[in-house]
Amino acid sequence: MAENYQMLEELGSGSFGIVYKALEKSTGQYVAIKHIDLEGSDDDIREIQQEISLLATCSSSYVTAYRTSFVRGTKLWIVMEYLGGGSCLDLLKPGAMDERYIAIILKELLQGLDYLHSTGKIHRDIKAANILLSQTGQVKIADFGVAAQLTNIKSQRLTFVGTPFWMAPEVIQEAGYDYHADIWSLGITAMEMALGEPPRSDVHPMKVLFLIPKEKPPRLEGSRFSKEFKDFVAQCLNKNPEGRPSAKILLKHAFIRRAGKTDLLQDLVQRTKAYEQNGRAHERDSRYYEETLREMSSADEEDEWVFDTIKPATKFGTIAKHTVKRRKLERIPSGDGSDMENATSAMEGMTLDAAPLGDITNSTTSTPTREISTIKTPKPRISSSVRKVSAITARKVSVSSPTARRVSRKVSGNNATSRKVSGAPAQSSAQKQPLGLDMSFGNGTSTVRQFKRVSSSHTPSSPKHHNQPSTSPQDSVFDSDAENKPPPAPQQQAQPAAQPNTKEAMVGRRAYDKALDPAFQEAHAATADRTKREALAGVAESWAHLNAVDPEGELALLRAMMDRIQSDPKLASALLPQRVANAQLASLRMNSPTKKGSIRVHESEVSSSRDVTPTSSPSKAAKTPSSSPLKDKYGASPGKLVLNPQNPHLKKMRSSQALNAEREKEKLDEKMPGRPSEPGMEHVGMLGEVLYGRWTEGLKARWPIN
Amino acid sequence: MAFLFGRRQRSASELIRSTKDLLQRLIKEDGQVPKTEEELARTLSITKTTLQGSPDVDAQPEQVYQLVSTILAESLLPLLVTNIHRLPFEARKDTQTIISNVFRFRNPGSTHTEPDALKEVLRTQPGIVVSLCNGYERRESAGACGGILKEALKWDAVAAVILYDEPLPDGKTIDIYNDVDASSQSSGNGVFWKFFDWIDKSSFEVSADAFDCFRLILTKHKSLVSNYINTNFDMFFDKYNSMLVKSDSYVTKRQSIKLLGEMLLDRQFYEVMTRYVDSGDNLKLIMWQLKDERRMVQYEAFHVFKIFAANPNKSYEVQKFLIMNKQRLLKFLPKFLEDRTEDDQFNDEKAWLVKAIGNLPDSTSAIQSPTGARPANGSAGVQQQGSTAQVRS
Repeated sequence: MAENYQMLEELGSGSFGIVYKALEKSTGQYVAIKHIDLEGSDDDIREIQQEISLLATCSSSYVTAYRTSFVRGTKLWIVMEYLGGGSCLDLLKPGAMDERYIAIILKELLQGLDYLHSTGKIHRDIKAANILLSQTGQVKIADFGVAAQLTNIKSQRLTFVGTPFWMAPEVIQEAGYDYHADIWSLGITAMEMALGEPPRSDVHPMKVLFLIPKEKPPRLEGSRFSKEFKDFVAQCLNKNPEGRPSAKILLKHAFIRRAGKTDLLQDLVQRTKAYEQNGRAHERDSRYYEETLREMSSADEEDEWVFDTIKPATKFGTIAKHTVKRRKLERIPSGDGSDMENATSAMEGMTLDAAPLGDITNSTTSTPTREISTIKTPKPRISSSVRKVSAITARKVSVSSPTARRVSRKVSGNNATSRKVSGAPAQSSAQKQPLGLDMSFGNGTSTVRQFKRVSSSHTPSSPKHHNQPSTSPQDSVFDSDAENKPPPAPQQQAQPAAQPNTKEAMVGRRAYDKALDPAFQEAHAATADRTKREALAGVAESWAHLNAVDPEGELALLRAMMDRIQSDPKLASALLPQRVANAQLASLRMNSPTKKGSIRVHESEVSSSRDVTPTSSPSKAAKTPSSSPLKDKYGASPGKLVLNPQNPHLKKMRSSQALNAEREKEKLDEKMPGRPSEPGMEHVGMLGEVLYGRWTEGLKARWPIN
Repeated sequence: MAFLFGRRQRSASELIRSTKDLLQRLIKEDGQVPKTEEELARTLSITKTTLQGSPDVDAQPEQVYQLVSTILAESLLPLLVTNIHRLPFEARKDTQTIISNVFRFRNPGSTHTEPDALKEVLRTQPGIVVSLCNGYERRESAGACGGILKEALKWDAVAAVILYDEPLPDGKTIDIYNDVDASSQSSGNGVFWKFFDWIDKSSFEVSADAFDCFRLILTKHKSLVSNYINTNFDMFFDKYNSMLVKSDSYVTKRQSIKLLGEMLLDRQFYEVMTRYVDSGDNLKLIMWQLKDERRMVQYEAFHVFKIFAANPNKSYEVQKFLIMNKQRLLKFLPKFLEDRTEDDQFNDEKAWLVKAIGNLPDSTSAIQSPTGARPANGSAGVQQQGSTAQVRS
């Protein structure tokens, strides 16, 4: 669903989330999307759900319309209608509003409140910042972060939520309140719009919490305000909630009745636009969607991060020794917790620079604005920042309120970081899951292939698989590309799951598991035509049956096929361009013994050919011939050896051939020669060495590009 | 307003009948005629206002009584519930209010546990509860039906209808007051089991609402539910693990592990807990979750994992897995969610866990397999170990 939205600049931060402007591709309309990182808090997701369900049950032109919501990774996206006029707080930036505009806004606001109250909802956080305007001057109530749905129209609420300066006395006293609380906040908001700030904004917000219930309610004073306006405010700011008129009744108030049309509000929007363009255009710019772009790029890196941290090879080294059943568990806490940790901290380090950005956005528009503004408010900057803080602290008091989230987010220094980090793994989780589950190794060809493809030049390192139990897996050279090894091979080897008791049977099974079955699956997946698919499925099924019943026969059949193909030059060149040697190997392997000396030849060959590939490490090549135990290992796993030298060659091929076909072959290549490396087949290895040496020489002649 | 009240006093039955007619017409027209929708929305709105009053006018008990009895007598509710998705936006919410108000209705002086009207519904039309659950099939009806259910789940009889629902050949719903045998296993075809699918397969909004309801079913009436889970233990945890804990959805995964932890730590679920923590497979699954990349998943998993480790009578399998991973756990745990520095309880528990695991034997040969000669001694040894760990911490 996220793909349907083209993210644009940031609009600000609402209750526990950052709001972006975005383009809804399917409709071509602008929308506002709130991103809430669910990893960012311990709180129950239920509370956020409440905001959504509350929004979702609102359908009024006086309330910001909710469109949809979904989770992407660990982020909840709430898609809402976009209102281009900004909030009433934004509109106050150039200065306090004229009374006639206030009347219009209040009228619209009252209609919104009337709707909400009639459907049993209390907004609980009415203030200029939560009133949005469209370009055309429509007024809508926004931010339902702390709103409440009453199950019963007569029931009351006790929760202490809201923003102190706007809070009604009965809410502060926690004596139970209902929708009348919104009317008080409306009165304060009216004063806010008239004066530029809510009353008592110079007082510390915690102190305000004492003053509101104790002192006389604020009043709008001065000759610049009409009698009607003053009366309206006075009616709203009645300390006795029952004495406050309902929204419906207030709509009939003289001040409201004389209100003009909403079109007039466009003046306000224009005024603010002009003001912003004059003073602080560049500041707006700083909050464009940069951050998200960064998120996206980091998401890519995160894929790799998962790759790295899983470190399959190191794990498999240890695992290989164990039985299947244990292996499953072994991997969980294997030392890689630290790798994961390291990577996580690395990630944090990487994204730390995002934190200041996040902070800017969190402290939102008010602070910088007021700082520059030329209004005559006595201490605009201080008071506004205090207001911000105050809102935070007061909310913190209400532990159960979802706004507490808002607090923890802003206060905790690492919030931006954690947001980043969390977003990441979610994306890659799809990747990790199959890796994590052992089951997928046996048949998860794609995973294997992925490893292969990342750096095929590393394939030569596969012999060390076999070494790993004996040599130190911590060896840095080996470790560095450890994750690029095809993990399943040694596992399969270590625990022959089948019961076959002859070598041939085991090889047959292996051929099926490693080569045929995945090949069938892949072919099946790649075939679109139904009849063709069915035909393929039929063959696959029969072959599976053969494998179950007679793995030896299966091997014999395979061999016969290979032999025939190889003995026909045309077939061989079509099917096994670089596999000819392997096939020869397969057929010769059984017959002639070899001398040790020839192994040397092959080894030097390997290193020389490897040196050509840029990614290969010379130390590896150096190491191979130098360590004598390794030589034995080579002998023990001829299959892998045969496989190795193909890679430099394959590299060349890749440039000249279609990549898809290439991949297929590459995969098959691994599998075919992989067969003989069964326990008990070691004697074949030496022969493999010789043939390999000859073969690479032949290759050099054929592809001199190298 | 007043004239409406006056008119309705005479014709509660008229109002309900016309609502019913309009509903049937709506179904037939399949939402093609806006006028029907409008009229229906209006009658529902009147019904709602009569039942709950308005911010300015209180509801009249006499009228409410009349209306509720008529609604029940006319069997309006089943029709309303099954067609709630066809109603216009506001009418759906009105319907939710109407049904919730009917379910709340009590005769003055009534001594029943459940409100009278709800009791009547559960006796004669328990299918309504099942239909309400089925509201999760659609995005349009999920919110309203879920809202009604969640409120009604205050009463254990409602939870019982959901839990013991079995599709009967005649299409009726089981009578929980007479037909239920709590000791026989569920077929898995009842409406309760559909919650797993709704949570797993629905869009975020529906899934989250369904999960909320699911949580209420499981946690509101614990003795009822723990008995039910014990009877259907394998099927329940099979689904719970595979569809919720292993869910691809971050929200479902995190919430379900959290709920699992809450349930297992509840005294009333003691028996369920002991069976759960006996299973090596469950331990494995939870240990995997400790390794999830998402911190809150790790965190919730921790609170389940600690129960395995704290269990003084660990099964052989669980001991084996813990011992096999002893060193890894000892390396992993100290760094686990390291930056939760302000969470004292978590850090205490983590420290305890490290000790407890450190006190496990180093090799599985030290413990007795259940098939071994002295299984009783084996577990006693571990028990001791567990308790020493506790003392030391």
